[in-house]
Amino acid sequence: MHDHHEREETAPEGASTTDSSAAGAPAPTAPATQPVSRDAEYWAKGVTILHADQKPSDGINLNVTGRRVVSPIQGFGQMWEKTYQVRLAGASVTPEEVVAVWKEEFPSFWPSGNRFYRPLTGIRPGEVAVLNLSMAPMVRLSTGVMVLYADPESFTLMTPQGHVFAGWITFSARKDGDVTVAQAEVLMRANDPFYEVGLILGGHTRENRFWEYTLVSLAARFGVDGQVISEYQLIDKHRQWKNAKNAWHNAMIRSALYDVTRPVRWGAQKVRRSS
Amino acid sequence: MHQFQAEVRHRDGVAVIDLLGDVNAEAEQALDAATREAEAYNPNTILLNFTNVGYINSTGIALIVGILARARRERRSVAACGLSEHYQEIFTITRLSDFMRMFPDEESALAEQPAV
Repeated sequence: MHDHHEREETAPEGASTTDSSAAGAPAPTAPATQPVSRDAEYWAKGVTILHADQKPSDGINLNVTGRRVVSPIQGFGQMWEKTYQVRLAGASVTPEEVVAVWKEEFPSFWPSGNRFYRPLTGIRPGEVAVLNLSMAPMVRLSTGVMVLYADPESFTLMTPQGHVFAGWITFSARKDGDVTVAQAEVLMRANDPFYEVGLILGGHTRENRFWEYTLVSLAARFGVDGQVISEYQLIDKHRQWKNAKNAWHNAMIRSALYDVTRPVRWGAQKVRRSS
Repeated sequence: MHQFQAEVRHRDGVAVIDLLGDVNAEAEQALDAATREAEAYNPNTILLNFTNVGYINSTGIALIVGILARARRERRSVAACGLSEHYQEIFTITRLSDFMRMFPDEESALAEQPAV
């Protein structure tokens, strides 16, 4: 199940507090007997460097393989928690059924122009998907996500270096009285200063519309004309300037360079074939 | 389901938060209250004791990220102890371990003072 990944072997960057043995701290050894955690099967295992095999015929697979996943702590910009909810009033459906459909048909709920190339095995812990996102007319972003966690009532996607934001998105469903409520919750920080500016200049609004559209589509799948309730909370208003260097991995810049240099690559390929 | 509880103790200038039960969305209120109680003493370090935690989901990890973000803003360190191998791995994958040192138990964490 996890053959798309490699275990990371190099020390993480900026990890002065990570390698406890190097820092002289006792190694975090486990107690002698450990029961298997109830959540064990739901988490990705041994994955920090991503590998994506997908070769989309109508898209590109860039900025995924070799990248590390990043939590909101590794990002640059202000840290936000955004929650989008839709009540599936009138639909006779359990939270487990909603999440099962959400996993199975995940790309179909997205706004047009955005593609989610999932692995053949579907949304399972540790799997990697390739994303081609429409950022503006003629501007596309190729990046990816890793399935960090998946249980019957929720699943979480974590972003890699170069993605617009560092963090994760949790999709879940729960009962509120007799009504099933579907929710998307984003915990994020813009990955670098360019993305932070972009988010301020309309990116946040576009992202909010994206997930609101997704939830309306999900509700429609269950025959509900859904109204999305959105909440945004600023968790940390500070920007982490030491992480400005994350811009090196910026997937939007790299995707644009890829598209701009396409004629050069095409020409070079033609010359090689003819010689 | 194991009802979540969080209790705060202070030892040697470290605020120890003992976590008990499942760390998921339902833990938010208790965890937030415990964190605020711990911060009231302005400790240099908050030590999260996971010895009696047997379940963490992705929402629970997000709650811990919130604690970490707030502590970093206040220039306070956060450490963890009592994590099983499984949760040590989760903390590594989610990269919480980049900013949160992990110790096998409370004594070894406190022995590292003020390094924790």
